[in-house]
Amino acid sequence: MAQTVKITAKSRPEKGANRIARLRKTGQVPGILYGHKETPISISTSHDELFKAVTHGTRLVDLETDGKLEKALIREVQWDFLGKDVIHVDFSRVSADEKIQVTVPLELKGVAPGVLSGGVLDMPMHSVQIECLALDIPESIKINITELQIGSVIHVKDLVALAGIRFLADADAIVVHVIQQKAEVAAPVEGAVTEGTEPEVIKKAKPVAEEDEE
Amino acid sequence: MAMMPKRVKFRKSQRGKIRGNALRGNTVTYGDFGLQSLEAGWLSAQAIEAGRITASHSVRGEGKLFIRVFPHKSITSIPAETRMGKGKGEPEYWAAVVKPGMILFELGGLPEATVKEALSKVAYKMPFRCRLVARRPSIG
Repeated sequence: MAQTVKITAKSRPEKGANRIARLRKTGQVPGILYGHKETPISISTSHDELFKAVTHGTRLVDLETDGKLEKALIREVQWDFLGKDVIHVDFSRVSADEKIQVTVPLELKGVAPGVLSGGVLDMPMHSVQIECLALDIPESIKINITELQIGSVIHVKDLVALAGIRFLADADAIVVHVIQQKAEVAAPVEGAVTEGTEPEVIKKAKPVAEEDEE
Repeated sequence: MAMMPKRVKFRKSQRGKIRGNALRGNTVTYGDFGLQSLEAGWLSAQAIEAGRITASHSVRGEGKLFIRVFPHKSITSIPAETRMGKGKGEPEYWAAVVKPGMILFELGGLPEATVKEALSKVAYKMPFRCRLVARRPSIG
C-alpha cells in the first residue's frame, strides 16, 4: 500500500493572480480542500513538502489545516509549462472506509524474452484506473513480463488484482506487448510525401451553373 | 525523407509570432523519457528527420521512438539576387512551430542511461536549447 505522508497547510486569504504569484515566490503552493459536502477551503502548502510527496507517488496524505488533521487524497496537481514546479493542488477529503477511484501507475517487472530475441516492448498504457478503499491505494500495479514473447500481449483482464481492488479500465485494453521490430523505412510517418513535390491544395468544388437549365 | 502534410488548404502561410509557452504537448505521454524544447522557434522538417535518424542510430533499433511534432507550416523565401517585390516567395521548406516546453521526441522501452545518451545526441541537432524530461507520476 502507498505510504501516507503528513502535509501541513494553512488557510489562505489571498485571492487573485497577483497575490497568488507573490505567494508562490515565498515557496508556497496554493491549493483547495473540498469534499464530504463541507465548505471548500482555500489553502497553501509548502512547495518542497508537496513536491516530494507527489514525485514519490504518494496519493493519500494526512493534511493538517490550521491544526485540524484529516485524511485527504491528492486529486489533481497542476504543473508549470516546463513541468518543473507544482503551481496548484487539489485535495479531496476522504474517510478510511470510503471507496474511491484513482489512477495508479503500472510497473514492469523482469525482462521480456521477446525483447532479447529482437522484439520491441510497447506499453500503450502507463497507468490504470482502479476502485479501492482509500487506505488500500497501491503504489503501483506490478506486471510480470518474464514470459512475454514476440506477439504476446498482456491485457487489463490479465492483470493480477490485489485484494479489494477492481480495475475500471476496459478489460480488453492492451497494457503491454512485444512487437516485431519493423525494418527502417524511408517514410516513417503517415502524411509524409516525397520531397520536392508539393502537397495537394484543397479547393472548393465549383457550383454547377444554373443558367444552363434556362 | 522530410515530413510534410499530404493536403493543405493554402500553399503559403503568414509568418506569425510565437507568443507564450506550450500549454499542450508539454508532457511525456507515450514513452518514458522525452526531449523538451526550452526555446521557441521553427523546427524544420529536415531537423526533425535529422533527430529521428540520430535517435534510431543511437538506440540501434531498440525501444520505441515517438515524434511529437509535425511540420504543418510552409516557409517561403525569395531566391537570391532577385529584386524586391513581385509578390510572396515560393514555399522553400516545411516547419513545426515550437513553443518553450513542447516535447519534441519521446523514447520508450529503454534504460535511462541509453535514452540520455540518445536524446543528448538528438538535442545537438535541434536549433534550440532542449532538456531531457522523464514521465511524471499520473494523478487523477
